[in-house]
Amino acid sequence: MVLVAPAVAMVAIFVLFPLGFAVYISLTDWPLIGPYHFTGGQNYSLLTRDPQFIHSVLFTLLYTAIVTGPIFVIGYAMAMLVRAGRFGSVFFRTAFFLPFIVGLATESFMALLELQPDSGAADFVLSKLGLAHANTAWTVSYGLALTAICVFVIWFAAGLTMMLMMAGMQGIPAELYEAAEVDGATWWQKERRITLPLLRRNIALALIISVIGSFLAFNQFYILTEGGPGTSTQPVVMWIYEEAFVQYHLGYATAGAVALVVVIGIISAAQFYLLRDGRDQEARR
Amino acid sequence: MKLSPRHTLTGAAAVVLLAAAAACSSSGSSPSSTSSSGSSSFGVNATGTVQFWARTVSKTLAQKLVSEFNATHKNLQVKLTLTSINDDVTSLATSIRAGDPPDVVGLNDIDVPTFTREGAFMDLTQYINALTYKADLSPGHVGLATYNGKEYGVPYWADLSVLWYNKTLFKEAGLNPDDPPTSYAQILSDAQAINKLGHGVNGFTFAGDCQGCLGFTVQPGIWADGSYLTSGNIDSQTASITGNQALVNALTLYRQIWTQHLVPDNDRTDNGTTWGQDFAAGKIGIMPGGYGQVVNLVKPSQLGSEFMDTPLPGTNGGYSTFDGGDDFVIPAAAKNASGAWEFIQWVMQTQQQDQYPALGATPVRTDVLTPAFSTANPEDAVALKALAKGYAPVTLVYDQMFNQAGGPWFQMFSTAVYDGNMSLALQQGQSGLTRLLQQAS
Repeated sequence: MVLVAPAVAMVAIFVLFPLGFAVYISLTDWPLIGPYHFTGGQNYSLLTRDPQFIHSVLFTLLYTAIVTGPIFVIGYAMAMLVRAGRFGSVFFRTAFFLPFIVGLATESFMALLELQPDSGAADFVLSKLGLAHANTAWTVSYGLALTAICVFVIWFAAGLTMMLMMAGMQGIPAELYEAAEVDGATWWQKERRITLPLLRRNIALALIISVIGSFLAFNQFYILTEGGPGTSTQPVVMWIYEEAFVQYHLGYATAGAVALVVVIGIISAAQFYLLRDGRDQEARR
Repeated sequence: MKLSPRHTLTGAAAVVLLAAAAACSSSGSSPSSTSSSGSSSFGVNATGTVQFWARTVSKTLAQKLVSEFNATHKNLQVKLTLTSINDDVTSLATSIRAGDPPDVVGLNDIDVPTFTREGAFMDLTQYINALTYKADLSPGHVGLATYNGKEYGVPYWADLSVLWYNKTLFKEAGLNPDDPPTSYAQILSDAQAINKLGHGVNGFTFAGDCQGCLGFTVQPGIWADGSYLTSGNIDSQTASITGNQALVNALTLYRQIWTQHLVPDNDRTDNGTTWGQDFAAGKIGIMPGGYGQVVNLVKPSQLGSEFMDTPLPGTNGGYSTFDGGDDFVIPAAAKNASGAWEFIQWVMQTQQQDQYPALGATPVRTDVLTPAFSTANPEDAVALKALAKGYAPVTLVYDQMFNQAGGPWFQMFSTAVYDGNMSLALQQGQSGLTRLLQQAS
């Protein structure tokens, strides 16, 4: 107990106290400045009837559903490509991971310029390929904006999944593959019977990071569309931001934030449960 | 029961044994001046340190002023802290809640009403009344700092919207560069003439996806026509969209400009990030924008010779400007309010105001506009002339109405200009503004 006391104290001060205080704020009409009043569960009740909050939640779910699969599949494929120490592996690892290192905010500003009609690279390349008009305005139409942001985020985030998968793949003993080859296993059988089962924990980690990241999406939408046109591409974190720092409804915004924490907690717990492996079950016995 | 956030925070802090940290923070406070508000010596020969928070957007101006003030006031020193334009309001609110605010703040003037309604700032009415140049202060700034007949702020610097035009392109298009547009009809005809030059040249430009930019540049034309989008006292305002002919005229002008392709195609998606760069590159005939915006984009030698400004006109004449920029405010709990007022009075002197143009800002005293000032700063003189007829909407929900992608102003503009449905646009504007104004009151 004594040994873990510092860690417990740190968690209590920097996690539990702020979280508890946030829950308290969410039960008030906390304004930017001035007195506040305790309102009980009124903010949470309002959330369930707020069409803009509901739209933001649904949009976030849609966005998460669109990008999670491709991020994982492309990340996994890239890991397969670069996991062996073949010639050029280091270059491709660096190249695939680079977008994640540079950062989403910086790249969102770059994307904003490249998505400009008439002057951006996206329209130039796509028009040369006959896939889009040279004056396509990507960021002011709901469908086009969502498509552009999803492609952009998949490009950005797949590198992290690649790193997580590659680390797991490199940790699998080579003897397992050699034994399988002696038994006449094909490439697909080795991948399916050895690699995938032993990557279960890495896959769980990658998917949880990806899903949480999607639920917390903000930068790319704030920079590229500002939630527009209208509020059609407003994810739930941007809704919280707007309510708190534009509308100054801090109590109400905090209620939305607490609700988001609960939802993310539930989804993460479900993912952990579904992707648990034998080692987890053994540890519980 | 009314609960004070400050008391709750203090109690919570005690629970987690953070009282020591709070004690440390209070030990760093500035030495107080001996003068207190209400005394005759208030703002005279104050001593100690004045904590001054200014937005990064006024960085150059603030640094220059503070440097010069400190060099000439050995007993009173100003310590400048620059705040981000994105969280300056919440930073200030947090410091006020914590009971440790700065002594003077350069606050975006449209944000001032949010604080004055809560009694967060010191009442400066008696001191402002004593200023000999009170009648010459920027009317928009003063309006935003006035609540229930009392004045809680003094103009600090002005960020004004004007109509920029390219004299070279005017000549090439056969237009008189000394006869800039003074009506909507002339804006349209001049833009059409310049657009015909071709070779990548457009007659006009605007940041078509930047809500704040459009509010900054389109509204003055409406005000020039003597009309406003909201009316009434700040606590019981109503929207004035339905039947607003001046608004219809402004939206119609932009609709004509858009449908006649007088602007670059990428104007539709310009969210302000690249606003004005095409104008500075010499590819645009006319651009409504900020005085300081263009001054910072072009070479000094191009001002006057290639680029010139003129007041933003209304439908058939008249002019106005968006009276943006910052107000000086002194938080009610400021420790050195006397020092803060002494600094403010020093900044308001003409010697300091005359330096503003070179620092990319417009002075806030209209009496600074002398023949000598106009000769030395012809572009800023245009802005300063417009300042006398400037305005800024006094409302608690300006950001929500005018600066948001999903706000009613931009929804109305988009529907009218890009979709061409004026009646629906006006309905959207009326209902959207009404909803926000009702929430605020």
